[in-house]
Amino acid sequence: MTEHLRLGDLIDDRPEQGVFRVNRALFRDPHIFDLEIQHVFEGGWVFIGLSTQAENPHDFFTSFIGRVPIIVSRDGEGTLGCFVNACPHKGVRLVQKICGNAKRHVCPYHSWTFDSSGANRNIKWQKGGRYGVGFAEEDHDLFRIARFGEYRGFLFASMKEDVPSLDEHLGEARKLLDIVADKSPEGVELVPGRVTFTYAANWKMQLENCTDQYHFTSTHPSYIRILDLRAKEQTEEVVRSSIGGADFWQEGAAGITGGTYSFDHGHALNWGIMPISSASPDFERAQEIGERHGEARRNWTFNMRNLTIFPNLQIAENASSQMRVIRPLAADLTEMQTWCIAPRGESAESRSFRIRQYEDFFNPTGMATPDDTVCYEEAQLGMAEQERTWLQGHARGHGASVMGGNEFSDMIDVKPARSVLSDAQLCDESVFASYYRAWAERMSGVLA
Amino acid sequence: MSATGPAEAAQLLYREALLLDTLDFDPWLELYTPDCLFWMPAWRDDGTQTEDPDRELSLIYYRGRRNLEDRVKRIRSGFSVAAAVMPRVSHIVINVLVEPAGAEGAVRAHSAFNVSVHDVRSNRSHSYFGRYEHEIVTTDGGPLISRKIIRLMNDVVPTMLDVYGI
Repeated sequence: MTEHLRLGDLIDDRPEQGVFRVNRALFRDPHIFDLEIQHVFEGGWVFIGLSTQAENPHDFFTSFIGRVPIIVSRDGEGTLGCFVNACPHKGVRLVQKICGNAKRHVCPYHSWTFDSSGANRNIKWQKGGRYGVGFAEEDHDLFRIARFGEYRGFLFASMKEDVPSLDEHLGEARKLLDIVADKSPEGVELVPGRVTFTYAANWKMQLENCTDQYHFTSTHPSYIRILDLRAKEQTEEVVRSSIGGADFWQEGAAGITGGTYSFDHGHALNWGIMPISSASPDFERAQEIGERHGEARRNWTFNMRNLTIFPNLQIAENASSQMRVIRPLAADLTEMQTWCIAPRGESAESRSFRIRQYEDFFNPTGMATPDDTVCYEEAQLGMAEQERTWLQGHARGHGASVMGGNEFSDMIDVKPARSVLSDAQLCDESVFASYYRAWAERMSGVLA
Repeated sequence: MSATGPAEAAQLLYREALLLDTLDFDPWLELYTPDCLFWMPAWRDDGTQTEDPDRELSLIYYRGRRNLEDRVKRIRSGFSVAAAVMPRVSHIVINVLVEPAGAEGAVRAHSAFNVSVHDVRSNRSHSYFGRYEHEIVTTDGGPLISRKIIRLMNDVVPTMLDVYGI
């Protein structure tokens, strides 16, 4: 079935000619979707959650890797494990709750019982079951996900054994997770209250949008106008905007305003210079962060940073701070799980301020995200076109893209594979190539 | 000032539903006090909703009618693709139970809602359901909503959800 899929037909990657193009089929083709679920999501490292989601002994949360239900459980000794959330007996999903605390998990179908370390503790009426001799030789524990690792509280897993180490996978992009985690000496946590939404379009629309600076003033003028209005008539009732006070996105802004970094294995950052201002809920920590990590790291903490850890984690620090997990459901259907991610131990005032900024911007019930998701769906309609193969949306910035980093990444000892230093109107798209090269890498076994 | 009676409170809820159904936002905003609370909590986990809006996330949390006015401005701005083709909506508000609230002359109205939204742009219909908790105060100009809590049961939002769809 796969012999007709040639990488060159899907991704036209000719750096020497200044060409990088993506075939619309990548967004619409159900056959490609099946392959990428298998090879991109179930065939390599994916993000699965924060360690604080199962903080205490016997805490657990459930999720999915690709199509596979998983459970992340902390055992009585405090060690986290990641397992397929299905009973080995008949494949029934073992745990239905999204999170909780339990020493034992009993399968609802035939009562096979597992402890919080995934070990099988009881097979109902085993002695009376007259099993054949082969049964004893089988492993009856929960199936352990092949690779599982933690970096600064961020949990990742791979269904496939033969993958690089987590450190190698994250590479230099891990230093951008450090900036998130180092906002507080106690690390980060998720604010209670998860928000889930779906959109009827391909998951790569969200993948790209995180690092798409080009869309902001086009997609969100209605939100920007509200920010302008509120800035003019600031009262106690309305939340103060952090992004409204920055100019990296404004067409008239002078000089360098930000740019992009591309990392090996598909990770990417879109960033913009933002002031250290009391319009940020992190302001109360500015001095302390400077003392702990130096001036450069402090300045970067306040910059707009939209980070993608390929293929499914995005941390957006712009109008507030969001952690989102992309879950593809079909070629034209995606589920987004979203949380407000916040430094532990911040003051009540800053936490409340962060939450208020978050809701208005990030929620599907807010004033910005709906315009993104509607655009994704409108794009999906356009992707149906078969005549003209190639999109033109991955072309900006190739003329400005250079190998390695620049003075801004040097400041914080981050060494990206490529970088673009940008004024307000450059709005690099070449950074998306990072996603598609990693996609191709994971799909290499099924693409000619 | 005497408290709003049960029938009058129910009428206010139905009036709000009608104004939202007809996307008639100006008189809708006038149903609220200037310092109103408009709150739709999020869900913490399978079974509990967030309770403390200052420490937990909400789907929508506004204190002050000004914020609702901003939402309406955005919908009408002509600059939001999410509002370029307005959905058609129908609110059903039932099981209205009115009881005295804390403040003098104030009542609390519990009700169940079911809002059908036909998204004309995508030709898809969605149903949103849950419970409302309105707090109604009596003013010189008649009864006004000082507080509305929207407890949305089906909180996985297909694409987007705005104030007229809840």
